[in-house]
Amino acid sequence: MGGINAVQRTSTYLEKVEEKDPEINSFIEINPKAIKEAKQVDEGKRKGRLAGLVVGVKSNINVKGLRATCASKTLENYISPYDATVIERVKAEGGVIIGMTNMDEFACGSSGETSYFGETNNPAALGRIPGGSSSGSAAAVAAGFCDVALGSDTGGSIRNPSSHCGVVGLKPTYGLVPRYGLIDLAMSLDQIGPISRDVYTLALMLEVIAGYNPKEATTLKVSKKEYSKHLNSDISGYKIGVAKEFEKVTDPRIMKIIKKSLKVLESRGAEIKEIFLPNLEKGLPTYYLCVFVEFFSATRKFDGRRYGYRIEEVCGKEVLRRILLGKYISQKEYSGKYYKRALQFRSLIKEELLKALEGVDVIVGPTVPKLPHKLGTEIEDPLVMYGYDLLTVPANLAGIPAGVIKSGEVGGVPVGLQIQAKPLDEQKILNVMFALENS
Amino acid sequence: MRTDIGFEIHEQLNTATKLYCDCPTDYRNAKPNTNICEVCVGIPGAKPFPVNQVAIDSVIEIALMLNCEIVREPIYIQRKHYDYPDLPSGYQRTSLPIGKNGNLLGVGIWEVHLEEDPGKYDPTSGKVDYNRSGVPLVEIVTAPDLHTPEEARNFLKELTKVLSYTGKVRSEGGTMRMDTNISIEGGARVEIKNINSIKGAYRALKFEITRQKNLMKKGRAVKRETRAFLEAQMITKTMRVKEEAEDYRYIPDPDLPPLLISQEKIAKIREIMPEAPHLKLERFMKQYEIGRDDAWAITSEIEMADSFEEVCKSMPEIDPKYIASFFRHLIKKKLNYDNISFRESGLTSEDIKTIISKLNSKEITSSGAELAIRGVIEEKKPASVIINEKGLTRIEEEDVVVKAIEEAIKENPQAVSDYLGGKTEALNYIVGQVMKKTRGRADPAEVLKALKARLK
Repeated sequence: MGGINAVQRTSTYLEKVEEKDPEINSFIEINPKAIKEAKQVDEGKRKGRLAGLVVGVKSNINVKGLRATCASKTLENYISPYDATVIERVKAEGGVIIGMTNMDEFACGSSGETSYFGETNNPAALGRIPGGSSSGSAAAVAAGFCDVALGSDTGGSIRNPSSHCGVVGLKPTYGLVPRYGLIDLAMSLDQIGPISRDVYTLALMLEVIAGYNPKEATTLKVSKKEYSKHLNSDISGYKIGVAKEFEKVTDPRIMKIIKKSLKVLESRGAEIKEIFLPNLEKGLPTYYLCVFVEFFSATRKFDGRRYGYRIEEVCGKEVLRRILLGKYISQKEYSGKYYKRALQFRSLIKEELLKALEGVDVIVGPTVPKLPHKLGTEIEDPLVMYGYDLLTVPANLAGIPAGVIKSGEVGGVPVGLQIQAKPLDEQKILNVMFALENS
Repeated sequence: MRTDIGFEIHEQLNTATKLYCDCPTDYRNAKPNTNICEVCVGIPGAKPFPVNQVAIDSVIEIALMLNCEIVREPIYIQRKHYDYPDLPSGYQRTSLPIGKNGNLLGVGIWEVHLEEDPGKYDPTSGKVDYNRSGVPLVEIVTAPDLHTPEEARNFLKELTKVLSYTGKVRSEGGTMRMDTNISIEGGARVEIKNINSIKGAYRALKFEITRQKNLMKKGRAVKRETRAFLEAQMITKTMRVKEEAEDYRYIPDPDLPPLLISQEKIAKIREIMPEAPHLKLERFMKQYEIGRDDAWAITSEIEMADSFEEVCKSMPEIDPKYIASFFRHLIKKKLNYDNISFRESGLTSEDIKTIISKLNSKEITSSGAELAIRGVIEEKKPASVIINEKGLTRIEEEDVVVKAIEEAIKENPQAVSDYLGGKTEALNYIVGQVMKKTRGRADPAEVLKALKARLK
């Protein structure tokens, strides 16, 4: 990033935020030291691959000195005493953190409407939901408030808002990016990942944050990869799997757009193969049972003794629903019935996906089966809301990587294409995205 | 009436760092909340480090010492949820069994597993000290194979000895905590929590058996319940009845992959682990042809047992029976009197060899040997130095002894007349006075002989 004036770049973004974010509401807190940090870059005191790039951070990732509120009243006044591992890495590479982005409360949501700090608007389709739960991160990138943002994805929380906001986002393989410092939704599913406007920056951020953390039991012992250097839009010979089941559950207007992109990929030498995912729809109930139980466990520390409020007393409807359901189904008398069965189905779905991936390089399809609703629409039935996640949860259940890039628009609303691959095949996903970006 | 007693015993492991982070395990001397980090305080977003390998190895060794099979399937670490101020994340991490189906002194060991200690909550000040949070614990669950408080006490003593033999548990004492369950024929099973010592366990069981038997005598039912032991009052009190049983909502901790213990690891630990104390005792009796009481005293501590073997080995000219008697009557007696362990005493095999060889060559008397041991322990100097400095060498000059005898007779006319009147034990008193005058350097047997001749 030689030649960039970091201070200038950061202040331009800050001015834009000040002017336009009141309408979007993508940030909860702005980093008061952003300019100071940028200055250090310009003075050559901070160098690295991200030098001068301006980064937004989801409010469930700890950044020392800033508030990691999880967009909840529960942690309204929680100031992080430490940096998450990904933040250490971003800082070490010269990234300038502009602020903490808005999100669904405790990452429990797919619309960006459940934040204690107010809903986020969709900069790409004003008046509609931006998607969630990394709503602020995707919206901030889409609105041009920063170069790149970090989000977290438990069942689609990076991919869903990336799709609705028309930006690129990637959920890495489970264990590729350290979770140390990410406030839990469901520990066995959560992954931190980047959201950006272009594939190169996405790849660059991924290579900075990815890699083994010896102080964390669930990160993978894999060597560092330079995804940005190896970006290649030549995808001739790529085998692309498409499942009939996608079409069954997706809005035909969305499918039409996705099919156009598939044609583009074919024209660039990729080969389309049909795959079968008969258990696709079982992913959703399996996913939610896992989330409820793990989230209940994760929130026990918010007991009102240390962080001001007991979570059940101050949280929103959806967070409370998940805690109570998690508490209910993890009872001794039910755990066999629900949680263990969910874990069994999880293995089944994982096997099915990995088997489908054996014969292809990537699986391509829609990200979200329906278009984002208009802000202000009351959705009372949680199952209707959960329906947004149908196509994104399988990647989390299987631990595989998945990326999203804009495929087209339906009446001015962006539609994202989802690319899933085998564990640690992030490069292939990025290459397919790169090919689409360059066509 | 048949009574069945079982235990769940917790003991802190002797590791330098905590179970899921790098913080030091010192929580006793460190200022409150100084040995802490994000992980052991449960700051939002913190994740456990991979499980402390020293702690896992320690539990494997303890399980093997208790004749357990080591579990070869993946061992999940579970989250046990409950709400208490000392628990920073609202759950305690506890592993599924690492060892199973063991036994000690005929008592079944159901399982041995790994746990973390919570912090320390002071209800009076309302403050929590997290220095202890995350200190590794081993938990041992026994079958209800014990039948009396006395049996239970003996078992716990032997278990403590086995644990201390491994050197894998904290040696400062007072770190053992246990729950016990007791069922008397005709009544329900009652669990007693909050027991912190072997003595406490004995007293709790004594009280509980009396309480339950009294209820039965009155024709009342013994309910299934959990009771707390109140040490100061030496009673047990209802904590909760069965209907209110806590549901811990166990789930495998998603932050920790299950443990996998390899055959190689087990073999390696088996190779370096010490011989169990009861096996050592049997071997000593056989190999050195010593009595059970001597062997029992010597094997009460692994360091003392090792020293005994070393002394026997390097002094083949001396009868092991003599060495055993020396350990039991001179060393162990002094340790008991001072209430210290062999390790704490600072006595070395070198010291012991010096004293035994001088005793054997009659350079010092048995009283001199006693004084030498005391000197080594109290002044922390080698035995050879103590013997020289204190002039403990046996008195050869007869006139010195004769002079002391004459003085003792003159100064203790009552004892003399008692002896002459037929009270033979009065003579021992006079011998003692002579030994005092010669500072233990006279040979007590010689003194006795001389006194007898003098007072004929």
